[in-house]
Amino acid sequence: MKQNSRINKITNFKKANNMEKNQFLQSFAEQFDETDPSVITFDTEFKELEEWSSMVALMIIAMVDENYNKKLTGADLRETRTIEQLFDRIVQNKPA
Amino acid sequence: MEYKSPFSLEGKNILVTGASSGIGLNICKAVVASGGKVIGVARREGMLQEMTNELGFDKASYIHADLALDEGIAKVVDAMPEVNGVVCAAGIAKMLPLKFIKRQALEEILNINYFSIVLLLSQIVRQKKIRKNDNSSIVLISSVAQQIGTKSSLLYTGSKAALSAAGRVIANELSSQKIRVNSIEPGMVQTAMASEMEDVVSRESIDKDKEKYPLGYGTAADVANATVFLLAEASKWMTGQSLTLDGGRYKLID
Repeated sequence: MKQNSRINKITNFKKANNMEKNQFLQSFAEQFDETDPSVITFDTEFKELEEWSSMVALMIIAMVDENYNKKLTGADLRETRTIEQLFDRIVQNKPA
Repeated sequence: MEYKSPFSLEGKNILVTGASSGIGLNICKAVVASGGKVIGVARREGMLQEMTNELGFDKASYIHADLALDEGIAKVVDAMPEVNGVVCAAGIAKMLPLKFIKRQALEEILNINYFSIVLLLSQIVRQKKIRKNDNSSIVLISSVAQQIGTKSSLLYTGSKAALSAAGRVIANELSSQKIRVNSIEPGMVQTAMASEMEDVVSRESIDKDKEKYPLGYGTAADVANATVFLLAEASKWMTGQSLTLDGGRYKLID
C-alpha cells in the first residue's frame, strides 16, 4: 500500500510536470505571430526560428514574468538553445 | 567688484528627489560642487545618510520620504525650507510589450514617474516653498524615450511624455513669478537602473545600441552638469524647454 501511494505520488508529480511543460510550450508558441505552432516543439532551437527577434524575446520575458513570476535574463536566453532547456532553467532552475 | 560666475549656485537651496542613487545623487554632488546647498529626498535613508556624510552637513541635508504616498509628499513640503530650485529625478523603468500591460503596472509607473512629481510641485507652489521673482528654477528629469517609440517601453515612455508635457504647462503657469521650468531628456545613461534593464536584453544588443551613440553612452555626471546650468542664472532666459542629452544618438545620421 505504502509503496503504491509513493508510486502514485511520483506519477502524479510527473503528470503535473508534463502538464506544466506543455503549458509552457503553448505559451511560448503564442508569442509568435507568423510561425506555425506545430513547428514549435521542445527540441526547437528557438533562436534559429525565422521570426525570432528582440521583440519576441521581450514577449517571452514578459510571458515568463506573468506566468511564473520569474525574471528571465539575457543570460537565460543566451545560454539555452532549445525550448526544453529554457523550460528546465526557468521551472527547475537547472543549468542548461 | 568681484565677478560671480553665472554658472554658480552660490546662495541657492536646491531640493532634489531621487537623491539616493544614479542621476539624482550625481545632481546633489554637482549642486554642492557649484556652491549650492542641497536637500535630498529618497526612500532609502541609509543612502541619503551616505550622501550627506560625503558632501558635508553644512552643504547637504535630507528628508526621508516616499513620494509615491500623499503622506510622503506632505512630509517633504512641511520639512523643506524655502528653495531656489527643485530637481525631480526620482523614477523607475519597466519593459513590457503592449499585450502584457495591466492596470497595476501602468498605475505603479505613472504614480512614481508622473503623479508624485505633479503632486509634489503642486504642494510646493501652493505653500510658497519656492522663491518667486528670484530666478528660481525647476528641472524635471524626463527621457529621450518620450521623443521616439522604443519597443516594449510603453510604460516608461508614456510616463516621461506626460512629465515633459507637464513641464511646459507648469512653466507657463509660473512664468509670472519668474520661476522657470525645463526638462532634460537623456538617452542611455549608465546607472544601476540601466544595468537592471541591461540584464533583460542581451549583451550583444546593448553593444549594438551603444554603437549608435556617436559619443557613446552618457554618465549621470553629464546629466547633473546640464542640471546645474538649468538651475543657475546662466539659463535665466530659458523656460518651457526640453533639453536632449543623448551623445548625438537621434539627430546625427551616418
